[in-house]
Amino acid sequence: MNTHFRSRTARGVAVVSALALTLTACGREGGGGGGGGGGSASPGITDDSVTLGVTTPLSGATAGPGTCTVAGVKAYFGAKNAEGGVEFGDGKTRTVDIRALDDTYDPQQAKANYDQLKNDVFAMTAGLGTPTNRAWRDAAIADEVPQVLIMTGDPLFSDTEESPWQLGFVPIYQNEGEAFGELLATSSEEHKVAILSQNDDYGEGYVEGFKSAIEGADNIEIVDELTYEATDTSVDAQITELASSGADIFFNAMSVTPLMIASLQKAQQLNWKPSWFLPSNTSSPGAILEPGGAAAYPGIYSVSFAKAPQSPAFAQDEDVVEYLAALKEHGDYPDPPAFPHCQWSWMIGATLEQAFGEMTEPTRENFMEALRSIEDFQAPLMLEGTAVNTSEEGQPAVSTLNVQKFNGKGYDTVESFG
Amino acid sequence: MASASSLSTSSRSAAAPAAAAPSFRQRRWVRMAAPLVLALVLAVLPLVLPEFANETIARIGVFAVAVLGLNVVMGYTGQVSLGQIFFLGVGAYVTAYGVQNDWNIVLVFVLACLIPAVAGLIVALAAARLGGLAIAMVTVALPIVGVPLAKRLSEFTGGSQGLSARFADNPEWTGLYDDQWQLYIVLVIGGIVFLLTRYLVRGKYGRAFAIVKGNENVASSMGISPYRYKVLAFTIASLIGGVSGFLYMLVVQYTSPETMSFGHSIELLAAMVIGGAGSIVGSILGGAWYVLVPQLTNAVDASLTALLQGAVLLLVLFVLPGGLASLPRALTRGRRRSGADRGVGAPPTTPSSTAGSGTAAEGSERERQGPA
Repeated sequence: MNTHFRSRTARGVAVVSALALTLTACGREGGGGGGGGGGSASPGITDDSVTLGVTTPLSGATAGPGTCTVAGVKAYFGAKNAEGGVEFGDGKTRTVDIRALDDTYDPQQAKANYDQLKNDVFAMTAGLGTPTNRAWRDAAIADEVPQVLIMTGDPLFSDTEESPWQLGFVPIYQNEGEAFGELLATSSEEHKVAILSQNDDYGEGYVEGFKSAIEGADNIEIVDELTYEATDTSVDAQITELASSGADIFFNAMSVTPLMIASLQKAQQLNWKPSWFLPSNTSSPGAILEPGGAAAYPGIYSVSFAKAPQSPAFAQDEDVVEYLAALKEHGDYPDPPAFPHCQWSWMIGATLEQAFGEMTEPTRENFMEALRSIEDFQAPLMLEGTAVNTSEEGQPAVSTLNVQKFNGKGYDTVESFG
Repeated sequence: MASASSLSTSSRSAAAPAAAAPSFRQRRWVRMAAPLVLALVLAVLPLVLPEFANETIARIGVFAVAVLGLNVVMGYTGQVSLGQIFFLGVGAYVTAYGVQNDWNIVLVFVLACLIPAVAGLIVALAAARLGGLAIAMVTVALPIVGVPLAKRLSEFTGGSQGLSARFADNPEWTGLYDDQWQLYIVLVIGGIVFLLTRYLVRGKYGRAFAIVKGNENVASSMGISPYRYKVLAFTIASLIGGVSGFLYMLVVQYTSPETMSFGHSIELLAAMVIGGAGSIVGSILGGAWYVLVPQLTNAVDASLTALLQGAVLLLVLFVLPGGLASLPRALTRGRRRSGADRGVGAPPTTPSSTAGSGTAAEGSERERQGPA
């Protein structure tokens, strides 16, 4: 027993020391993160290239949208690189490389990916997810690494005071609820609204935005308001209770796809047929409305700022044709995009190019300044009436949305309710 | 592959002098000096390594401690626990909450150990009455309850947005970088936990754990209460889980309900089995596995990580069922056997090409029956 245990000790010591020694390969140089002031170039940028980092879920339950977040921006810059590169404000033309790592929607892994990338990339961008972006937000601020145009509706990332090195891209939850509330407030009829929301920051954000928009509108009355948990497997009880309220508008701030389908079906069984409002990420015609039998309802409303490439209205659209071709050729995404994140990611590419064009020094500070000064930029694939605006305090890069109504196949933009 | 290859080189370098002079390892000064050398290497290492290597080693330390806790209850006492990540999560939340409210950091550390330990004790008092897989079923509930609980108790946990806490910025007087300072803390706390656990499982309690694992009736007949020792093992595992949660906050600086999702519990379990169940070194290797394999698969192809990880997992389990910790034993046994076949006069060449498959299988045979 004794010798056995000693030999094990010796082996353990040997293994650990050897493991440690193999890692000693290269000594410390620089370290400590960015922050280089003056005119010296930040990490990740040279005279002819710039590298951007992405950490996003590429496997696991969120892999579908996650893959899109990389594909769009990769396709955008892939096409630009093929033409020679992107023109920067300092007169140099640089190619843009994307380094994407998989975080499986695990905050710990996202932080690890950030640590791995931070000294090699110029900026981090396009990653999807609230917890995964929050995990390294503090570290990015401390290291002065830009964490910009990320895909989360969390308002924290658009608060310049709290997050000096961050900027969200997609509209925050409040923006979406607000857009629908504003439309409803202009209606000439009386409406009774039933609200169901997810019991977290997501649901609360939608409801907050909606309520602020209908404040003071006499024709709108909220008759019932319930919540559910994101982990619930059924919301039948809530739907039944809300159906008895006799509301003609159902504001359903729900992020779970199967629950959304189930609610659409349940309300029909109860013969409750209101007009619905659905959040942008649970309003897919193919994946949710068709299986849910949405045609039975007088109206299904959602919000969007991107052209849907599947929609016949945009089939011949110049932007869409160019985008689909690039996605196939440069984005490693041969199928037609199933998630709007692909389109958003493409717009992120265009927005970044816009900021690069304004940069006069190859530094992260200068990049942040340039990025925060974009006004009314109509990125490709954006719908009429929406634009990128990065200088608005407390707002993400895109905060304008069009309300759309389901037409049986896709969505049409509507100006008024009804 | 990185961990596997460095491991095999290390085992070779460790085994080569042993083959030349078998008594080398038993010599007194070697036994005395080796831990000293190790301590020295670990003390110098953070100063010379690049930032990312330091951060990676710190992360390995975090999960090595978590796997060690799991090893106490599963590897040494033989009770299947699928809830280890819950205790890590509780430890992390306690730490984050304490830091946000500016509590003394020592107090925070003590609470981050005690609260998970008490939670573990309460669960164990009920769960340990059950035998075999029933315990596994009870422990499955922990992460499943933990995630919605963390979302609901948003006053303490920050809801689904989680909690951030930076408390490991290095003090001015050290003159260290943040990553170096963090790694030192992880090495000190993790090192103490590993040492204490080693003494625990090698001593009186460890023998009792092993008997409970082997046969509960035999344990009872020897005056060892299986129930009491199961509860003890489970509580210690929870406590160690709490320590790893504290270290998690130190290194990752953020926790959210995602931290304790059930999938991570299974990943911890896989890391323990791959590192080597019932082995101290195996716990470190398990932690390294947990951290390095995602990095490795990311480097190969970021869109195929899940597939590659599954493939590597199956490969290791086929080739080394005893875990990575059994690799040196499998290799040395193989060498001894082939040496005996050839006779004493045969040149002691390393059978590197054949060592992998055949000999490892035999080593694993012994690993399965061997005592913990």
